[in-house]
Amino acid sequence: MESDAQKPSFRRFDRKATAVAEFTMKQYSKRISTWVILSVGLLAMSIIMLFYFDTMLRDIEAVDNDYDSFDPDGDGYPTGQELLYGTDPYFDQSHPGLIDAGILPDDPSLWVDEDDIDWDSLKEGSVGYDDDGDCRNAPVAPSAQDTNRDGIPCNIRISAKQFGEGFEIRGDNYVDEDPDDEAYAKEAIHRATILALGKFGFVFLIGIFLPLFMATGLIREEMESGTMHFLIAKPIRRAEIFLYRMFGFIGITYPYVLGLCLLCALLFGFSGPSESIFRLSDIGIWMVIAFATLLAILAYGMMFSMFGVLWKHGIILAIPVAAWELAMMFVSLWEPEASVLRFSVLGWATMMIDAGALMLWPDLEYMIEVGMWGGGMAPLQGAEQLMVFSSNPGLGLSNFASFLVGSAVLLFQGIAFWLIGSALFSSKEIS
Amino acid sequence: MNPSNQQMPIVYLENVSKVYGRIHALSNVTLGLSGGVTGILGMNGAGKSTLFKLLMGKLKPNSGTIRLFGEDPWKNPSPYARIGFVPEHEKMYDWMTALEFVSTFARLFGMTKAEAEQEALRVLDFVGLLDVANKQIGRFSKGMRQRTKIAHALVNKPELIILDEPLQGCDPLARTTINNVIRELGKSGCTVLVSSHILTEIERVTEQIVILHHGKLLALGNLHAIRERLDQIPHTIHIKGSDSRAIGKSLMSHPAVFGVNFPSDNELNVQTFHFGQLHQDLPKIIVENGHNVQVIDNPDDDLESILGYLTGGQAHGK
Repeated sequence: MESDAQKPSFRRFDRKATAVAEFTMKQYSKRISTWVILSVGLLAMSIIMLFYFDTMLRDIEAVDNDYDSFDPDGDGYPTGQELLYGTDPYFDQSHPGLIDAGILPDDPSLWVDEDDIDWDSLKEGSVGYDDDGDCRNAPVAPSAQDTNRDGIPCNIRISAKQFGEGFEIRGDNYVDEDPDDEAYAKEAIHRATILALGKFGFVFLIGIFLPLFMATGLIREEMESGTMHFLIAKPIRRAEIFLYRMFGFIGITYPYVLGLCLLCALLFGFSGPSESIFRLSDIGIWMVIAFATLLAILAYGMMFSMFGVLWKHGIILAIPVAAWELAMMFVSLWEPEASVLRFSVLGWATMMIDAGALMLWPDLEYMIEVGMWGGGMAPLQGAEQLMVFSSNPGLGLSNFASFLVGSAVLLFQGIAFWLIGSALFSSKEIS
Repeated sequence: MNPSNQQMPIVYLENVSKVYGRIHALSNVTLGLSGGVTGILGMNGAGKSTLFKLLMGKLKPNSGTIRLFGEDPWKNPSPYARIGFVPEHEKMYDWMTALEFVSTFARLFGMTKAEAEQEALRVLDFVGLLDVANKQIGRFSKGMRQRTKIAHALVNKPELIILDEPLQGCDPLARTTINNVIRELGKSGCTVLVSSHILTEIERVTEQIVILHHGKLLALGNLHAIRERLDQIPHTIHIKGSDSRAIGKSLMSHPAVFGVNFPSDNELNVQTFHFGQLHQDLPKIIVENGHNVQVIDNPDDDLESILGYLTGGQAHGK
């Protein structure tokens, strides 16, 4: 056997770390409470997912925004078809069949969602095309074809907002006015659910409750039961015990979070709206959600374990923190740029998800703006949800820089709570 | 007194005091120990566990200096690489097997998994638990649990072993095994500190004792020497036999006996000024007179009597 003095010290640390972490993981696995907590987490996530699957499996009703599938004069030709041929939709002796007997009346459903949005990004300038011709062919004065007053008939004008960030969309009447509601709603709800699940489900529910019930007693339970005597009577510093026990906590919770994320990625990937079988494009956002959750678990785990060292009833200290973080959850949804969010773990973790979403879904802002514009009519289904669950990171930095700052802050919080917890533990008498 | 590390005993305390609120758990204790088995004797609450907790860095002294191998255990856990500690606490990890328990803690000394397992088997064999190494601790008897704790404390081949009340609650077989282990360790050159509140338990493993009383160091030295002095004070010997009055008559003629009384028909208490002499002659008197004796007991030969003697009759007070 290699003598103790000959062993490189890092290898001895490594062995101690592995021993304590492995032991802690085994200890967790032998407790029924661990399996109850993990099962409740899975159940809660499953319930959130059920709402999603319910929406995805349901047909979303296509709305005829411009009412041109109707036939008000009863000649059999829907309004849209009459407008295309320049006949009067309100007079039954004027219809396309009189121009050419070969033109038969269209099925009215062809005139629902017939004028989709023809642009896919927000850039200042003139966009859009009147697919159904109800602007181009309308028997009206040229000024009536340029209701947005940009000098170009039958177009959409995108311009930067005069006040605040973002764009303003002003369309001429009957241009891109009847988009594909179902396609939009499914895409928007799919993305909104991923963001909601990431923020509420992963960062808040899993991120807080796993550490609350599993990390608060990480050191305290050993102190209370008397088994800490076995650990501290060894050549190992208390700060190391704190850290290595946390490794054990991480060893149980991280694979769980990663597994849960993978499960969600697979379920959402196969059931989300896509032209192929699987939505590969969402892999990135699931990785961002997983990463933000792992860092949140680290910060909360260190914090709650520190509370456990500080006081026998550490969980009583942790509960107000959980309540504060829940409040921050709502602040992050309604007031994402509020500076109070910087005084929370959750604020930084949700910001990472927001930054990641904007990086990985470059058309996210476009989807929200277009959805809220809704063809110049009411917002499209799913647009409001998407607007609520996605936010601007609010740091005034690029999305990537915001993501990095969020990661660094959470890591820093974790280290700070470890140092405070270790200092408290080292000065604690154990009787 | 501030000896250098080379001169310093393995266990060194200088004017150490520990106070819990208004209770003085340890008062001004100065002690240096190196080599052999030392029994730490004291009644419950005398300060034995506090002393061990201070040595193991679990408590911080209010005043004084503690050194283990020249290091302050409150600030530096490195001396524990050379120490094995058997805590008094009963709680263990019941879901672990004895082998898992010992090898897990062996790894905290920097051993690899394989080394730890090999060493764990060695020490489990030493304490006689090799056969049940793969059994869960939760299924062990009290004695087996104690032996598992002792095994875990020996896995790093320590130079100093501290055992806090290792025999408490153990059956006679476990006591014998544990006593043998303690004696073996003493013979092998280890410094062993073992605490107890029962004099005869300590007597079986060592002559060298430290007596704590109300947090103070009352005596330090050889149990024999203390006993010899104890012999000079009045003692009572309790005898149970079928004819107590005949036994009493035979003993009254012994020069060391100054009184006899009969609590019941088959019991007698004999008062003596010279316990050692009477103890030596007693078997001969019984055999020569053909008495039928079932029990000879010395109720004064316990820790309380020694404490009473050492404190001048103030053992129960402060």
